[in-house]
Formats: sequence, C-alpha cells, structure tokens
Amino acid sequence: MTRYLIPDACIRDIGEYEKTGGYQGLEKALSMEPGQVVEEVKKSGLRGRGGAGFPTGMKWMFAAGDPKFPKYIVCNADEGEPGTFKDKALLKNNPHILIEGMAIAAHALKAETGYVYLRAEYPKEKEILEAALAQAHEKGFLGENIMGSGARLDIQVHRGAGAYICGEETALIDSLEGKRGQPRLKPPFPVNAGLWGKPTVVNNVETFANLPFIMRAGAQEYMKIGAPDCPGNKLFSVSGHVEKPGVYELPMGITLKDIIYDHAGGIKNGKALKAVIPGGVSAPVLPPDKIDCPMDFVSVQKWGSMLGSGGVIVFDEDTCMVQVAHRALQFFEHESCGKCTPCREGTGWLRAILERLETRQGREGDIRLLEDVSRNIAGNTFCPLGDGAAMVVLGFLKHFKEEFSEHIENGCPYGRTGKRPDRPAPVQ
Amino acid sequence: MINISINGKKIGLEGPATVLEAARRHGIDIPTLCNHPALELWGGCRMCVVEIEKMPRLQTSCTVMAADGMTVYTETPRVVAARKSVLEFLLINHPLQCPTCDKAGVCKLQDLTVKYGAVAGRFEEGKRTFPESVDDPLIVRNMERCIMCTRCVRMCDNVQGAFAIGVVNKGTRSHVEPFSGGRYNCEYCGNCLNVCPVGAIMSRLHRYTYRPWQMDKTVKTICSFCGVGCTQLLEVRSGAIQKVSPVFGEGVNKGLLCGRGIFGYGYVGSPERLKTPLIRKNGVLEPAEWDEALALAERKMLEIKNLHGGRAIAGVAGGRCTNEENYVFQKLLRAGFGSNNIDSVARLGLMHAQNLLEDIFGQGAAANLISGIPRSDAVITVACDPTQTNPVMGLQVRAAARAGKKVLTVGHAHGLRRHRTHSLPAHIGTEGMALAGLLSELLKIKKLPGENPEFEAAIKNFELPRLEEVETYTGVSAAMLSGAASALKDVSSSSIIAGRELAAHRDARRNLMLLAAIGYILNSRFFLISEHPNEQGLIDMGCAPDTLPGARPIALQTFRERYEEAWGVKLDPEPGLSLMEMFEQAGDTVRAMYIMGENPAFNLPGRKMVKSALGKLDFLVVQDIFMSETAAMADVVFPSLAWSEKEGTYTNLEKRIQKLEKAIEKNPEKKVFLMEDWQILMEIGKRAGLNMPYTASSDIIDELARLSPLHAGLGYGDLAETGMMWPYKGKPLRMGGRIPALPVSRAEAPSKEQALAPVLVLDKPLFHSGTLSRHAGPLLDIMAEAEAKLSPETGSVLEVTDGAMISISTAEGEMALKVKFEKGLPVGAIFAGNNFGEAGALGLFGYELEPESKTPILRFANLEIKLETGKL
Repeated sequence: MTRYLIPDACIRDIGEYEKTGGYQGLEKALSMEPGQVVEEVKKSGLRGRGGAGFPTGMKWMFAAGDPKFPKYIVCNADEGEPGTFKDKALLKNNPHILIEGMAIAAHALKAETGYVYLRAEYPKEKEILEAALAQAHEKGFLGENIMGSGARLDIQVHRGAGAYICGEETALIDSLEGKRGQPRLKPPFPVNAGLWGKPTVVNNVETFANLPFIMRAGAQEYMKIGAPDCPGNKLFSVSGHVEKPGVYELPMGITLKDIIYDHAGGIKNGKALKAVIPGGVSAPVLPPDKIDCPMDFVSVQKWGSMLGSGGVIVFDEDTCMVQVAHRALQFFEHESCGKCTPCREGTGWLRAILERLETRQGREGDIRLLEDVSRNIAGNTFCPLGDGAAMVVLGFLKHFKEEFSEHIENGCPYGRTGKRPDRPAPVQ
Repeated sequence: MINISINGKKIGLEGPATVLEAARRHGIDIPTLCNHPALELWGGCRMCVVEIEKMPRLQTSCTVMAADGMTVYTETPRVVAARKSVLEFLLINHPLQCPTCDKAGVCKLQDLTVKYGAVAGRFEEGKRTFPESVDDPLIVRNMERCIMCTRCVRMCDNVQGAFAIGVVNKGTRSHVEPFSGGRYNCEYCGNCLNVCPVGAIMSRLHRYTYRPWQMDKTVKTICSFCGVGCTQLLEVRSGAIQKVSPVFGEGVNKGLLCGRGIFGYGYVGSPERLKTPLIRKNGVLEPAEWDEALALAERKMLEIKNLHGGRAIAGVAGGRCTNEENYVFQKLLRAGFGSNNIDSVARLGLMHAQNLLEDIFGQGAAANLISGIPRSDAVITVACDPTQTNPVMGLQVRAAARAGKKVLTVGHAHGLRRHRTHSLPAHIGTEGMALAGLLSELLKIKKLPGENPEFEAAIKNFELPRLEEVETYTGVSAAMLSGAASALKDVSSSSIIAGRELAAHRDARRNLMLLAAIGYILNSRFFLISEHPNEQGLIDMGCAPDTLPGARPIALQTFRERYEEAWGVKLDPEPGLSLMEMFEQAGDTVRAMYIMGENPAFNLPGRKMVKSALGKLDFLVVQDIFMSETAAMADVVFPSLAWSEKEGTYTNLEKRIQKLEKAIEKNPEKKVFLMEDWQILMEIGKRAGLNMPYTASSDIIDELARLSPLHAGLGYGDLAETGMMWPYKGKPLRMGGRIPALPVSRAEAPSKEQALAPVLVLDKPLFHSGTLSRHAGPLLDIMAEAEAKLSPETGSVLEVTDGAMISISTAEGEMALKVKFEKGLPVGAIFAGNNFGEAGALGLFGYELEPESKTPILRFANLEIKLETGKL
C-alpha cells in the first residue's frame, strides 16, 4: 500500500522533504501549462477532502474559466468538525506537502496569493507552517519567479477566531475579509466571486496534500489507488472506544470494519461495538450491522450516512446514545451562526429536549417532537450545518429509538443521572 | 422574455427578477421577514419558501432568480407547513409581549403568526432574555424580540454606510448592538428602526403614547429640512405629528431619511410657537388682533413708500416657505410696495453658482436626478460634505462608492472619508485652487470633447497655476493631483456636487469656471448643495432683486410687461438691492423691511451690523413661527404656519417641484387663529389694493403658471407621485453658451505663519440646521449644545483637551464653546456651527461682498482661542 500523505517520521525540514521526492510535483506542474495541470487533476478524479467530496478538477476548471483576475487560492485549515484531526496531523508531520500542493494549485489557476485559514486552536501548527513557508521562500518554491518559471506566489496564514461555521467556504471567505463569518448566498459561487469578489478556490488541507502525488506519479497512477469513484488515499481520524485511536492513511473504499478492527486495534477492553459515526459529528450514526460499509464518498451515502471529513467515532456497548446526541446538539447549538431561523432556533430546541431526556425529565411525545423539529430543520436551512444537526438526531432515532423511549420511561440506563433512580411519585 | 408560472398563472418577465419580485409584481403575495427591497438579498428567515418543480428542496423565493420555464407554487401544504415551522421556531425565543409592545398592529411577525401560526407553541423551555436597552435618548432596543433578520445591520452597512451597528455573538445569543455600546454613536438616520419588522429597535419619541391603529391619518408629504426634498409619511393623531416614517421605494429618497427628517419634526408642536400677532407698543411686543396688525403693517409700509419711494422698502423671502408664498411675497413687494429690494438665502452662494453654470451650459445646468449619482462612473464633491448638508444625496455618493465607482472629494468631506477612492484635501477655502491643479492634470491626459468650441477656447485660455504653486497654496501634492486625474481618465460620465462656499469666495468666478471646465471634460451632471428645502424655489419665484418669477431678468421689457399687465401696476425696471446691501443701507436709503420665515439677525455673517441695521429701520415686519432673534426686533410680528400645516410646493435641488400636503389643521376651534404665510401677505396686499384673488394655494400656482414661461401650464394635478422635474411643461429657455471671459487668477501662496494659523470654519452639522432644529427636542438629545469640533492634532497645537471649554473671539464677537475632538478633521481647523442661540458661530464671522454677485464671503479677523479656566 502506497502512503504519500503522512510519512512514517515527521518531516518538517525542507531538505528532508525534498529527499522523499518533495517539490518534484511542483516542478512537474511548472513544466506544464496551467490548463494541462487542471486537466490532469480532473483526470485524476480527486474529490475534495473537506467533506462534500466535490471533484477538485471541476472546481478548478470553473475558477480558471472565469476571466476575472486576480484569482485566489485558499486552504481551508479550519478543522472544526468534532472527531476530526487529520489536518492537524498533516500540518504537524508534513507541512511542506500543503505548501507544494498550494503552489501547484496556484500555478494551475494563475493565482499569486494564497491564504491558509487556520483553525484558531492550532497555534503550534501555525508556527510549524510558518517555519515551513519561510523555508520554501528561501528555497525559491514560493515568492517571485518560483523555480525559475516566472510564476509567483505568496501564502499568508490567517488564524480563525474559533467559529465552526467558518469551515464553510463562503463563511470562511467572509471571515477572511474581516466580516462576521456567515455563509454567503450561492450563486455566485466562490469560484466566480469569492474573496474580494474575485474567483477563489477553497480546498481542504488534505485535498492540497494529494496534489504533489498526482503531479509526480500522474493521474493514471493515482487512480489505481482507492475506490473507483473516489481514488486516492484518505486520512481517517479514528477516535472513541478503540484500542489505538489516531490518524490513519488508508485507501478510499476500505471498510469501516477494517479501519476499526485491523488498524485501530478493535474496541477498547474487548467490549462490543454499539455504534459508529463514520464522518465526523455531522454524519448520521451507523449501527454495528453496517460496519461493512466501504469508506468512500459514494458508498457511505448509500449505507445511510456520509464520509464527511473521515472522522470515525466509535462507541462501545456502555455508551448512552441520548448523551451522545445531546453532546452533539450542544455543539451544533453553540456553533449555529444565527443566520437562518431553523438552525438558529431549532438546534437549541433539540438540545433542550435531549437534555430533558438525559436528566429524567423526558415526556411522552418527546420522540415525536424530536422527529418533528428535526424534520422542520432538515432541508430548510441556509447551509448544511443545520441539516447536519437534524440528520444527526434523526440518525440516532432511526437506530436507537428504544433507548430514547427507555430514557422517557425510566431515565438514563447508563446512570448519567444516577443509576436508575426511582422516579418521584407523581404529584396528586 | 422569461416565462414562468406561479400558482398556475403564466407570467412573462422582461428582465431578471427573483421569484419573489416576479410574484409580487403580479399580485401574488409571498410572506417575508428578512427581505427588504432596499437591501441586498439575504435568505435568512426562510419565511418566503416556495415549491419549484424539479427542485427537491423548498427554495427561498427572495433569492432564487426566475428562470425560463420555471413552475412555482407558493401555498402548497408543504410550503405552508414549512412557514408554520419557521414561525414556530421564531416564537421560541420571541417574547409574547404584544400587549405592551409598540409594534403590535404593524408587526410583521404578528401578522404572519395570525396567518400561518399555530394556536399554541410546543416549546416549553425558557426563552432567552436580554435586558431592554434605553441607554440611547432616541432609540430603544429590545433584543429579546429580535428575529435576526439583520435588516438593520444591512441597512447601516450597505445603504447608510455608517457601520455603526453589528450582530454580536452566535446562534440564539446573537443580537444587534451599536459598536459604541448602549448609546449610539452614529448618524441617527433612523433607518435601522424603519426597517425592523418587529419591535426590537424602536423610536423612543412616541413610545407608549398610542397604538398604530389609533392614528387619525397618515399624510405623505415632503420633508422640511434641506433641498433634497425627501418624501416622508407623517402619522398624525390629535392634531399633532406622532411619528415620521419613510415610504420605501418612493420619492427622491426612495424611502431613506436622515436624522433631521425622521427625528426633527418636534418643532412643529413646540409650545414656543407664536400664537397671535404682536405689535410693538412702547418698545414692547404685545399681542394684538389680526385686523389691527394687518392694517398697521399695510399702513406703515405705504407711508414709507409714499414718503421715501418703493426703494426704501426691502424684503427677505424664506427658504422654508413654499413657492406660492414666495411668489406672493415678491408680488407684494414689487407690485404693492414698489420695491425690487427682494432677496433671500439663495444669495449665500447657490444663486451665483447656478447662474454661472447656466450661463455656460444653459438653463437647468444643475437640474439633474439625484438618483443618477451612483450610476455615473465618478462622483466629485467640491467644498462640501453632502452627507451632512444634504444627507440623502450623500447616501447616493456612498452608493456610488459601494458600486465601485470613483469618488473624489476635493476639500474637506468628513462623511465621505470611509467611502471616497481619491481625495484632494485642500485647505479650507482653497478648493478652487485644487480644481485648477486637477484641471491642468486632466488636460494633459484627456481630450476635450469638442461639443462646445466656444467654451473649449475659453478653457484653453485658462492661465493655470503650476503644480508647485497649487501645492504651496492648497497643501495638495502634485502626486495626489495626477493620481486623481488618472483615476478620472476613462470616466465617461460623472456627477459633481459643489458647495456654497465655492461661490461665496473671492475667486468665485474662477472656482466656478474651473468646476464647469472639469465638468465639461468629464461629461458631468452638476448638483449644487441646497441647505433649505425651497432654496431653489426662491430663485425660480423671483425672490431676487433682478429677476421675476420664472427667473428671468426684470430688466427685460417684454418679460416685465407680462407681469405689469397681469398685476395691473408699473414695475421698477432697475434691479434692487441684494441681501447684504439691504442691511448695509438700512436707516439710510432702506427705511423698512419685510422678512418672511427668515432670521437674518442670526443666520447671516456680520451679525453686529445686521442687528444694528434692523435697529435703524423705521419699520420692520416679520412673519415667523417662532420668536426668532429677528422677530424680537420687529415692529409687527405675524405668527405663521409650519410646513406640515399648509399646502404648497417646494422646489428641490434637482429643480423638481413637489407638493406639500397639509397634515395638521391648525384652526379647528379657532382658539388659535393662524394663517399661512401667503394668506397674511394677501391680506396686506388686498388692503394695499392689489389684485390677489386667492382662496387656496392652488390659485397662486395657477397665476404663476399663466405668467411664468418656466412654469407654463403647471398645476397641482401634475405633481402627484414624484412631483415634476425641470423643464416642467415648457422648453429650456436658452442653450447657454454665454461664456464669461475670465482670466484665472493666480492665488498668492500664503506665508508659513498664515498656512499654520488656525482657521475658523462654519460647521453644518448633520443634526441641526438653522433655527428650527433647536426647537426639536430629539435633535437636542443627540446634540445638545454648540460644539467646537477639532481634530486631536489641532487640540494639541492649541493646547486644549476634549471636553474643555474654550472661548473663541474674533473682531466680530466672542463665544464660549465646548471642545469636541473628532478624528480626521483638517489640522488647524475649528468647526463651529450656527445652530444655538448663545453660540451661533456666524456671530464670529464678518464678511466681504463678492463684487459681481454680491455673495457675502465669510471672513474672520483677529482669531483668538483661549482656554476658559474654571469652566471645565
């Protein structure tokens, strides 16, 4: 199995990086016409690794086809999805691969300015990345006349301010412009009117990191890796009740079961698997009978969830599903930007109902209410954040409804509110 | 043609439109909350969702563009269910305080809940709470009621361009707050509360005083504060204006208002209003009967006429009075008293500027649509800050900037400092010289258009100063000039807005010629700042010593005869005295004055001279609504009616005639009998034997329409909706081409000491204008006292601190003012306004007359600034 994203040992020095073939992809790209680079990426079938899985080559083609200049490339490093920490691993262990990837993209799009929108909570990574950027400048991979090709690129690192919504590309752009980070109306899409109204390509850290390999090895080689519809390797952040949590670089299409049992060492302390969230908190939960699901953008959707950011969260048999749902909704309520009504008001309402359930104040009809509210949110929000929140609740209800009913009748069976305390006598 | 179907109705659209717009245009209502026609698309509230065939999700009709072949359904069960759910979500955190909320009755959320909402809510957890904020004197915020439509913020950022408020926090904790904290530090345009669909941001002016449905009537009329002529809605109850609100999409302003317009109406209901005629008896003004006062005024005026001749009488017409009143005023003066000594505040600059532009380009040179400003490639403001004097026109300049157009400010324009793309920050009073520099740079890179050979010949003969000279004199560097010129290189249309000060200047002619030349090269539409609501009307109604109604010279025999025939009297062909000359000659050749709706004792430079002049008169009649400084010196004072109490027309700075509607009937029980200005004049005129058969103001406009070629055939019937633009029903009189021969004078560079010396500048604050606004409580709440505004840098030079009391003295007078630091003001300049009785800054200014136009030029000598100790 080829691994090209995260090396065995951390590489921060540019010399070390070059020894492993680093910046050869850029060299190759610079020897090609920008249009050819776009074409090659299109051919490779690379899909964006931020969560939506949109074909990267297509995105580039739209931006490259827009006559407006300057164009911008932006790296979305606002890794905020709970259960996801792959970009952090990349930035820490292989910062130059991002820089090389961005330089390739810049050449393809004729962009001369790039931004890395970095999650506020990654100050260490900022230092590492900035040190790498300085090295790349020094060596002539950035700045004026890159590798003698005449191309130029400057990359600036911008730290976010901690809002999850700024991982949404249009909110990210607003935030980068100094505005309140909220999703913009689409169309126009960022590829036509993004940063400062100019054509802008926003790609995830991992997406950029795939480019050096594609350029170096060629689209043909790249397509041999992974699933037919979704080629390449994917970084999976595995967390929760497994023996060996961590980031795993594995080919697309590997089954959930393989990830959990072969790579992450199985369920902790030999317990049984109860549920798994395959793609970060926004992805609906899957029960144990679905762990044969191949992990690629197309398959996971067929199996009833989303690959998302590849954040695999594993729960053992002792986990309270209501508590997990409650914790997730706490997150969504806190991170709802407030722009659209259903998400702003609905996420808080869902959280409040789940809180009742978890604290033995559940009432008859609450499950119905949860479903109703979720359905009223889903499909009616401005951006996918609200949809995600609703789908999460509906996912838990789909597979674990009995546990919810149990909460209403007898309180939390996992002792979150005291081990099955007697219910107070009803007031006469 | 885009063909779509909405609810089965086939709709053809000419141009691009959203589904919402398409539906509304064809009478199909789709409910909305966050959408507003004046604001950019948002799509946040999700109220306007519709079902569109082939689209799996419901779509927000406010953001989806109608596409050919689209099939839309606006009230399907799925849509209604979604709206119900949106309302349910909104009501989770919206307090159900309708009985104590002022918005009840005109609240969109309330209306929609009635239409779509559930009977009972299912949310049983606690609502979020926010304390009510009454930190601001004018605006109250109840953020619990906020539904986060962000209309207010979008209005503030994207239309007003003030950037004063923002959404803080996320999710349900989001709320709107001024960046300044509780109290607003903004332009008080009030547009935030005008667009709030619920009761989250409201005016405190009429809080808890009425229910919207208790209003007696709402009257659409024209604002009384400046020359833009904004359409506004007066909501009237019990004979008093309760509220002023905008009519979005309508009028010159398309619904936008400024602080004066929305909060300044209070003067109408002031208890200080004059209620009876007053006659001076034994040196004291005492209440008198109308008959006695009218008879006295008529008798004394005719006595003086008979004794000294008509030229011994002079009159000042009113820039806040209607066209009809000003017409009758000059008729009384000319035909009744035999005097051409008629003038007005238009003398302070507007008239001269307009005359000169019309000489070159023809009549109507400055009659242009304000709404066209943002459509031109570039906007240039010269020696003015439209955002303060004509705020809603200022918004158009900001709109131009937002649309990516070039905005160049020449001279100081504080309100555009965040919006302009280029600036030539010439020292105050040297803007004309900067124009000379700009012109010489423009001539280097831009060809003359070749349309007006005569004017081009004149331009080529201009003796333009060298750029170094311009820099020494104005402080504007050669680089700035060439930068500005190259920015204007590819401009194919532009708008130029010029202030009064350009014409009230020693080199007025040079300034205006340069302005005209630049405008000619850049294919400009001109706009002249007009500080009074009917300043243009004063000119057009012949309230000038040398022109008759229709703004044509009285010296022109054929024209004069027209009026002589109609009025049945011989008119004096000699032009009369101009504004300042009247006062200069008072007690000498001028023995009596008639002043209508003006306050020269306060509003003119050379205050000492003007006051002593008024004192020297044998007889002084004043018509006003307040006991002004001038009225206090009169022999007879007539109380008149305010703008909302009468009918008539105003002519705005676009030369658009618009109709005022009477909102308040002042004499319902005849307890207080007051007359409109024209009625008072008519009563005197009739007593003097003049033919004034007017029963309503429309009779006056009919007479005007018969006599003035400019206004031929005009009637109130023509003024419905948006009034009527010049040239009304006629043709332009002449096509210009009278190019005044003029060498452009070279200004002498000031010495270093002169250049660094502090200058006193007449400030025109946004929140006050003239003497009416000091009777408007809310405006006083925003700005309660006179201020000396200066930059912190100037403060450190003068060794004064923010908030200190300083005394400013000049050869003309002395006054104490509180220092207010304002960043970005020119160094060395002290801005003081003429708005407060004790501290009207014009009292510090003398003047000299511009010899050609007799425009007074503000001058100050022996400026001294001292820190007032013990008064901190």
